[in-house]
Amino acid sequence: MENTLLVGLSKQVALERQLDVISNNIANVNTSGFKAEKSIFEEYLRTNAHEDNFVGADKRVSFVQDRATWHDLAQGSTQLTNNPLDLTIDGDAFFVVQAQGGERYTRNGSFQINNTGQLVTTDGNVVQGTAGPITLQPGDSDLTVSGDGTVTVREAGNPQANSVRGKIRVASFDRPQQLVKSGSNLFSAPAGVNAAQATTSRVIQGAVEKSNVSSVGEMTKMLEVMRTYTSIAQILQQQNDLQKTAIERLAEVPA
Amino acid sequence: MRALHTAASGMLAQELNVQVIANNIANMRTTGYKKQTAQFQDLLYEHVRRIGAQASDQGTILPVGIDIGGGVKTVGTPRSMSQGTLAQTGNDLDIAIRGEGFFKILLPSGSFAYTRDGSFQLDAQGRVVTSQGNPVQPTITIPQNASGTTINAQGQISVTLPGQTAATVVGQIGLTRFINKAGLLSIGDNLFQETPASGAPQDGLAGADGAGDMQQGNLEQANVEAVSEMSDLIAAQRAYEMNSKVVSAADQMLQSTSGMFR
Repeated sequence: MENTLLVGLSKQVALERQLDVISNNIANVNTSGFKAEKSIFEEYLRTNAHEDNFVGADKRVSFVQDRATWHDLAQGSTQLTNNPLDLTIDGDAFFVVQAQGGERYTRNGSFQINNTGQLVTTDGNVVQGTAGPITLQPGDSDLTVSGDGTVTVREAGNPQANSVRGKIRVASFDRPQQLVKSGSNLFSAPAGVNAAQATTSRVIQGAVEKSNVSSVGEMTKMLEVMRTYTSIAQILQQQNDLQKTAIERLAEVPA
Repeated sequence: MRALHTAASGMLAQELNVQVIANNIANMRTTGYKKQTAQFQDLLYEHVRRIGAQASDQGTILPVGIDIGGGVKTVGTPRSMSQGTLAQTGNDLDIAIRGEGFFKILLPSGSFAYTRDGSFQLDAQGRVVTSQGNPVQPTITIPQNASGTTINAQGQISVTLPGQTAATVVGQIGLTRFINKAGLLSIGDNLFQETPASGAPQDGLAGADGAGDMQQGNLEQANVEAVSEMSDLIAAQRAYEMNSKVVSAADQMLQSTSGMFR
């Protein structure tokens, strides 16, 4: 008889966690390069009891277990900014940055230049090129990034010609789901997951990739979670009333 | 319930976003103003089930884990240092810079500041000063009896003195470059100051080293685009609303829990 309560509770715990995931997605609806998280649930069957007097199909009880969250790596919408240091990747690849603790991967291409002329993220992590950081010289102007990530500038001493300042490294993964989010718009690769040079993606200059959170979808899911939670709470309450009535009735001693 | 705090972080971030947009719109007509953009990042994740953890003694590993994020944070409000459009004023001492450089200004404290606002005036001594009366560097004094002030693309100021037919060069306004213009510190009054992030100032002249050239009789308008600010404002407002809906959803769920057993 307690099964109803426990099954309901398992669903409520799962729903609370789903709401946590949804609220994080909605909080990041304006975060450049953010990738939404989705929840997966699965049925958890209780094992059969050995000394079981009941027969038939009604003895199996299934609980809900939250199984996983996965990254929705779909391309976010592109917002034109016309800022030469705003880059977007068209395709399923990542920019490589050097953060504390090693290489990290990001889809947020709103870069800056630091005091030594290196291309960095807003956090100051150095963006990696195919041969070390991209470093600009004093006097460089008209920064252009081509589709394959090659950075060219007009040098102060030689304004006619394009001088190459490096090529931005764009990494892709066989199984990008294995990447772990480490906050600050960064993904880290667990041991054994290696980045390969991306071949099919393209770098676009003057645009940033917005968050790929679908606000309508998230709001709908949120309502669904809320309503399910409330209706389970109601079921639990009814079950409780039932038990209460049962106890009261059974305890009535006929005079 | 964690969702409450996550949504609160989203509301805070969007509030700041609206603040930045409001400042951009307020300064739409400020000469030499450079717009700011709020940038956000996701907060730390709690890895409830870590990706790649061992799932059984057969060596199978979890292909996906459970990552619960904690919300959003603001990481910076960098300025977009793109060129603003030039507006003709016809005023002799209005100078616009086309290019990368900044005017260098001497503050009363003795330190230097940098600006893109070239609406200059003359003070009582005939020095070229900003609207606040701070002299432009290097200090240039225009003789009292001079007429026909002309400023060329290199920043040379020439005047015609009485009784002379040829113009006399009285000085040249310098331009200063920074390797990271976005790293300058705004101190208000359209002025910027150098920081460790901007790199050391490189004093130079207009027309050299990519510092840009000068346009007399023009002023550089703010680089704020009304349309994009308005659409950003709408996006920020809606995001704020959605986050507040999450707060009320989490609140209702808590309410139904607390009202479960009478």
